[in-house]
Amino acid sequence: MSGVTTICFAGSYAVALLLELSRLVFRSGARRVVMIGFAAAGLVAHSAFLYYRAVNRPGSPLSIQQEWYLLAAWLLVIVYLYLAACHPRQAFGVFLLPLVLALVGVATFAAAPEPFPRAAASRVWGAVHGTSILLATVVVLFGLVTGLMYLAQAQRLKKKRPPLRGLALPSLEWLSLANGHAITLSVVLVAVGLFSGSILSGLSHGGRMSANDPVVLGTLAMFFWLLAAAAVNRFYRPAQTGRKVAYLTLVSFVFLAVALGLALGLGTSHGGWNQWRQRPPAMEGERR
Amino acid sequence: MRLRVVGCSHHNAPIEIREPLAFDRQQARDAIDAWRTRYSDVEAVLLSTCNRVELYLAAESGEVPCKNAVAAFLADFHDLCPDETREHLVDLTDRDAIVHLFRVACSLDSMVVGEPQILAQVKQAYEAAVERDSVGTLLHEAFQGAIRVARRVDSETDIHRHHVSVPSVAVADFGKRIFQRFDDKKVLVIGAGEMADQTLRYLQHEGSREPAVLNRNPSKAEELARRWQGKALAWDRLDEALAAADVVVSTTGANEPIVTLARFHEIEKTRRSRPLFILDLAVPRDFEPAIGDRPDVYLYCIDNLEAACERNLLARWRHLPAAERIVQQEADDYFADARHRATGPMIESLRRGWQAPKQAELERLYKKLPQLDDQSRQEIDQAFDRLLNKLLHGPMESLRREARHGIPSALTDALVKLFHLKEKD
Repeated sequence: MSGVTTICFAGSYAVALLLELSRLVFRSGARRVVMIGFAAAGLVAHSAFLYYRAVNRPGSPLSIQQEWYLLAAWLLVIVYLYLAACHPRQAFGVFLLPLVLALVGVATFAAAPEPFPRAAASRVWGAVHGTSILLATVVVLFGLVTGLMYLAQAQRLKKKRPPLRGLALPSLEWLSLANGHAITLSVVLVAVGLFSGSILSGLSHGGRMSANDPVVLGTLAMFFWLLAAAAVNRFYRPAQTGRKVAYLTLVSFVFLAVALGLALGLGTSHGGWNQWRQRPPAMEGERR
Repeated sequence: MRLRVVGCSHHNAPIEIREPLAFDRQQARDAIDAWRTRYSDVEAVLLSTCNRVELYLAAESGEVPCKNAVAAFLADFHDLCPDETREHLVDLTDRDAIVHLFRVACSLDSMVVGEPQILAQVKQAYEAAVERDSVGTLLHEAFQGAIRVARRVDSETDIHRHHVSVPSVAVADFGKRIFQRFDDKKVLVIGAGEMADQTLRYLQHEGSREPAVLNRNPSKAEELARRWQGKALAWDRLDEALAAADVVVSTTGANEPIVTLARFHEIEKTRRSRPLFILDLAVPRDFEPAIGDRPDVYLYCIDNLEAACERNLLARWRHLPAAERIVQQEADDYFADARHRATGPMIESLRRGWQAPKQAELERLYKKLPQLDDQSRQEIDQAFDRLLNKLLHGPMESLRREARHGIPSALTDALVKLFHLKEKD
């Protein structure tokens, strides 16, 4: 099991993506089975990798930035496998798998491989915080996918173009509903993440909140955006059209990308390469 | 083996000829019964659709009746002149007949290539013949093969997936990409043309219920509404109906647009930005084209839909070579299986011929070894059976291999001579 690397499952997902794209070129009855087979094999290797890391490294996967990204990718693969099994004609993989590969890429090349600093008392709140932000990320990414699919489908319909054979997209009605649900769910998850994060911050800093952390500020901005988007979507009828909801989810993704970018690039309590690189040699020793 | 198909289709006979030859369901049953009375040893399936009338015949022993006899039978049944009937009939035998049946079932021979109804009609004809007990081994194999080929063509090519009629393209290629379901959508029909009627059929198939129908002539609106369990509305309620509608089918004969952009702006205010799918099937158009630029309005005119039909028809033609390859492969397999089945009696005779010496040897052995108990005897019996099977495996495999390329007559002659089989086997 220790021989599993990110290359193993990223390779499987890449093959599944190539097979998804091959829908445009040729038709095959066996492709769906092979495609799901590759993605499932990747998921098994991915699970084994995360399990091995969880039992052999200090801290849960949620407390390590690198593994947090890998968990987000892992959840998106589960969403992909579910959709590929339930909606075999529709090309969800073409939109979802590149995101999975991007998350694995960020985990491999950009995320810090060390646990966030934390106190023993904050273990439970840390798990709640990590899980809710992780799920919120997955939901916002799913919203991005359905939003892009909506805009692509709407544009083809406006231009009177026929359906793309082999690369069928769900109906506007389905995509619009999925987008609306993604916004609502992400508001709840980010709210839980922020609440647990504030408690966590209080525990770590002796009752003081780290409100000047750029990652916290980025997440707060995303939360207020999502809250406004959900409210507008829920109560303002003209905004309930699929196209507008799709734009709301795309902007939500921009907020998410900013928050994640800040977490990756800056040395804050949320990890990041700068912080990891700047650690004193004694900490390197501790790691060993 | 003799297989024959005699009949006419849109390829070689005009409607004036096909019409008097056509059979309704009851007539088809009566015709099959009449055929069995006249030719009790000849299997028969009668396929009668609006584009073809074909009688599929087969006889395991003896000859199937010739084209003239079939023409006389058909003419008798419909009180027609046999000579006039005969000249429009096509006669295909053996491989040509099987390939024709497979092509018909896959709708490669249809007027609109790839239309899906023909397979159901072929199945119906086959089931009616089975019910009348006029199908034997040959036609069972042939029709089951035809159904299998049609399924293969359906799953391995996209020939059936491209819709080619305006209403089906409108609903399947456009409507179903906008709406996930139609049972909760409000359908509004403006005008009462034939195209509206056909489109409603497809919409109802997708689950839409109770369409609202508007027409300047209230009686026509009521008639169409009654046919589709909908409701007729007065013409002056057009704006109100448009504000409530999700799907609009418009087919009026008006000389200028009945819904202008300015009028639509007013209607739009009460629609609360709900998506609107408009099928403007009228010429001249009923909706001003600029309405299609409004957000969440998906407006298709007859030209848009006909262009989509043409694209789909071309797409079907692109799949033809793949479908034809499947038909040829399946016809090869059908005849290889049939030839192999034909060697069955010879294998059986060979097996029977070796049973007698086996029994004689076993009896001799048991006389010499009286001390053998039942279990030992059973073991020895089974060992001899295994030996026979192994000896037969070689000749059977050779026959199967040869049958793939033609009738294995050289091999069967050799077996007859080598093992002194009777000629009739």
